[in-house]
Amino acid sequence: MSKILVCYKWVLDEQDIRVNAADASLDSSRAKYKISDYDKNAIEEAVLLQEGQGATVDAVTFGGDAVKQSLKDLLSRGPDKVFYIADPSADKADGYVTAGVIAAAARKTGPYDLIICGEGSADSYNQQVAPRLAANLGLPSITYVQSLKLEGGRVVATRKLGDCTEVVTVEGPAVVSVVPEINKPRIPSLKQVLAAAKKPAEEIKIADLGLSPKQLTAKTVSLTVKGFVMNRKNILFKEPAQADNVAKLVAALAKEGVC
Amino acid sequence: MPGILIFSENNAIALELVTAGLGLKATMNHSLCAVALSEPDAAALAAAGADKVFLLNGQDWPEGCAQPIAELAARELAAVILIGGTARGKDIAAKVACGLDAGLVTEAQTIEIAEDKLQTTRLKYGGLAVACEATGLPAVVTIAPRTFDKAVAGDGQGQVIALDAAAGDPRVKVSDLCPIERHGVDIASAARVVCVGRGLAKQEDLALAEDLAKALSAEIGCTRGIAEDYHWLPVERYIGISGQNIKSELYLSLGVSGQVQHVAGIRDAKVIVAVDTNEKAPIFAAADYGIVGDLYEVAPLITAALKK
Repeated sequence: MSKILVCYKWVLDEQDIRVNAADASLDSSRAKYKISDYDKNAIEEAVLLQEGQGATVDAVTFGGDAVKQSLKDLLSRGPDKVFYIADPSADKADGYVTAGVIAAAARKTGPYDLIICGEGSADSYNQQVAPRLAANLGLPSITYVQSLKLEGGRVVATRKLGDCTEVVTVEGPAVVSVVPEINKPRIPSLKQVLAAAKKPAEEIKIADLGLSPKQLTAKTVSLTVKGFVMNRKNILFKEPAQADNVAKLVAALAKEGVC
Repeated sequence: MPGILIFSENNAIALELVTAGLGLKATMNHSLCAVALSEPDAAALAAAGADKVFLLNGQDWPEGCAQPIAELAARELAAVILIGGTARGKDIAAKVACGLDAGLVTEAQTIEIAEDKLQTTRLKYGGLAVACEATGLPAVVTIAPRTFDKAVAGDGQGQVIALDAAAGDPRVKVSDLCPIERHGVDIASAARVVCVGRGLAKQEDLALAEDLAKALSAEIGCTRGIAEDYHWLPVERYIGISGQNIKSELYLSLGVSGQVQHVAGIRDAKVIVAVDTNEKAPIFAAADYGIVGDLYEVAPLITAALKK
């Protein structure tokens, strides 16, 4: 039976982050965490393969202490087991460090016939962990996959590349990254949520991965993060009759020279 | 001599990277090298200002260039490697970065050298924020298409040097290359755009937006949900950070709530107009003009007023 690893990131929900107009600082005090949207597609694809042809699905995540909150949500989506690396250093990790940590974890918990990632994370969207992970593990990568099959030991994937598609066949194993259109992630049922409580979640200590201090030091350091401030007129037409609002709008657009 | 190395499998984008590379060259005082996949491409890059162009022969699959580019960058002591931010380019860049044990910045919007590091800006949180980051050298950077203007052909006398490509990975087979058919115009360059979101109840009601678009001589765009979840419009019409970025003089939305990822794609529009039932929808904070109301009532009124 095939063994699949799916990688996911526990991120702040960007829809709840507010930009302070005065100094463009970010206020994430009201933001909740979520499984990165793109990774939900990766999880769903692993689970579809599990249901379709029988496979065991492990999941792995690397993050700060908050990742512990993700385990139940993750397991309710179908994977059999989750490995988590919870370490405060994750806040400063870049693609280089993250791919190194995940690769070391996969060596410990694998080998796998297939490793699936989302195309990028919802917060940083660096889109580099999947191909870096492949390179670290010495495996071929197939990025931006819109349909995926496992045929025996072979991975057959159709990639979507802006202006074309192509089929890549790898004599497995391989690391793939999937695009959102590959599937529609299901909302876990009550039964799945209850079953999740009985599934195993295992912590892997970062110190046990055998990585050097250099391998755990980010190549890219964040200097500042500032909210994007939109300077717009913000004029709302609020007459009781919509016809009056429309007349005002059309007059304003005529004045702007755009109608 | 340490230098700057650029690559894109799409030569139009490679010429944009020449512009970015020449900017870095001015401050770094290093030579600008390029990798090309064909002789005409190599000649164009040399004419546009690359000091040296390496012609990589015999590689059918651009992704197979990652290893030879990493080896070349190491040999040439390249300090900054700029790669065109297509899907293929981002895949190649990650592998080049691994080969060099280097950092990689994805889709940088600005690049400069400061304190012997590469300083870049890029979007974060779906376009909500701009992060300024520093990466030690050597550094690999991808740059999205159209971030820089194309370098024009000049009297560049750059050398062209032929390289033999590494053999492909025997585990990988590529087949069925198939162009994606585009329907209609390029929304990214449309002068005016009418955009529909989930406020639209059913596909047939697109006619309402089409009438308004006709009255405005505008093109129809949409949110990601309309294209990818409902499939009511082709994906190339969806606007947002992972879709199209528009630079139109007018953007008028009908029933669009304005999630950050969508708003990131409309920032360069000159005038933004929003129509939505929810006064608290974030689209109004991003708009110049707004009407709180039902698009089914307001859109036909706008169409009628424009026809007068």
